[in-house]
Amino acid sequence: MADAAVLGDENVAGENSTNDHTADDHATDEHGAHYTSLGISNMKLSMWLFLGSECLLFGALISTYLLSKTRFLTELIAGNPNVVSTLPSALAEEMIHEGSVEPLFDIPFTSASSFILLMSSLTMVLAHKAVSEGNYKNTRLFLAATALLGSFFIAGQVYEFTAFYREGLTFDGNLFGSAFYTLTGFHGIHVSVGILMLVALLILSMKGKLQADRAETVELVGLYWHFVDIVWVLIFTIVYLVR
Amino acid sequence: MTDIATTDDHAHDAHHPTERQYWLVFLALVIVTAAEVAWSYAGIDGLAYLLPLFAMMLFKFVLVAGVFMHLYFDSKVLNGKTFWMVFGSGLVIAMLVFAAVFGTFEFEI
Repeated sequence: MADAAVLGDENVAGENSTNDHTADDHATDEHGAHYTSLGISNMKLSMWLFLGSECLLFGALISTYLLSKTRFLTELIAGNPNVVSTLPSALAEEMIHEGSVEPLFDIPFTSASSFILLMSSLTMVLAHKAVSEGNYKNTRLFLAATALLGSFFIAGQVYEFTAFYREGLTFDGNLFGSAFYTLTGFHGIHVSVGILMLVALLILSMKGKLQADRAETVELVGLYWHFVDIVWVLIFTIVYLVR
Repeated sequence: MTDIATTDDHAHDAHHPTERQYWLVFLALVIVTAAEVAWSYAGIDGLAYLLPLFAMMLFKFVLVAGVFMHLYFDSKVLNGKTFWMVFGSGLVIAMLVFAAVFGTFEFEI
């Protein structure tokens, strides 16, 4: 019971054992939010289940990328004319010489993008903390900062895609291009959706409709945002740093 | 603006990390990312290159999921039997499926 007092309203029902299905398992707080035996609200549990399905999506995309890159490089290094002809000769020669797709990437630039996204995760948790404490000025500040940093990341991705396209890597040119643009593009779409959600929260806050009693709404958007950040942590290492 | 957060809200926040802890986690993430990039320029190949790289990636993954996503603090999400039945079993099956796919395609790093 002491734990319940410490954990607060999110764990009103959750302080009971998961095997003890009492009336508390279906408890609600003063705002009508339903809580599960896991000690989190139904909304939060739903978000976690959604993120679980997103793991499968990105897991499939990352697997496809790795398989496609390996197949592409094998054929490129073997000198398959159907693959070599899909790239400008200078880029193809450089990739064959290096035995990897590394010559295409601008690691310092992508590192800066990673820093921006990590920074946005920090501002996101600070926004949640601010709204929980009833500090609405800081809530708006951090929500706006998160959206802005996300926009910078997207701008960087657009720049990167444009640069790759000019270097000769097209979406439909070869297996590697298709897998790369699909994976990073899907991630970019997720970031864009996150920005829209942040802007919606910002508008709600400006209208005075995002008070401390609705802090969980900010936390749910935060979960999505941090998930997108985690996916980028994986993409940055697997796509850009693994040779 | 009035502070309308309830006592329970504040008690709940007391269980979450402080602002300083969030900054420290962010700092750790930046340092590890910088270490990853520096490592990529070290000129090492093969498993000796990949294992530390994946260890750093996993470290960042755990930090973000544990602290920023509050998994350390919503402990019942991790400890509950229902969680492992619904999410954990799916995760294990998914990993096995991906392993089978990699095996089928004779994937090489």
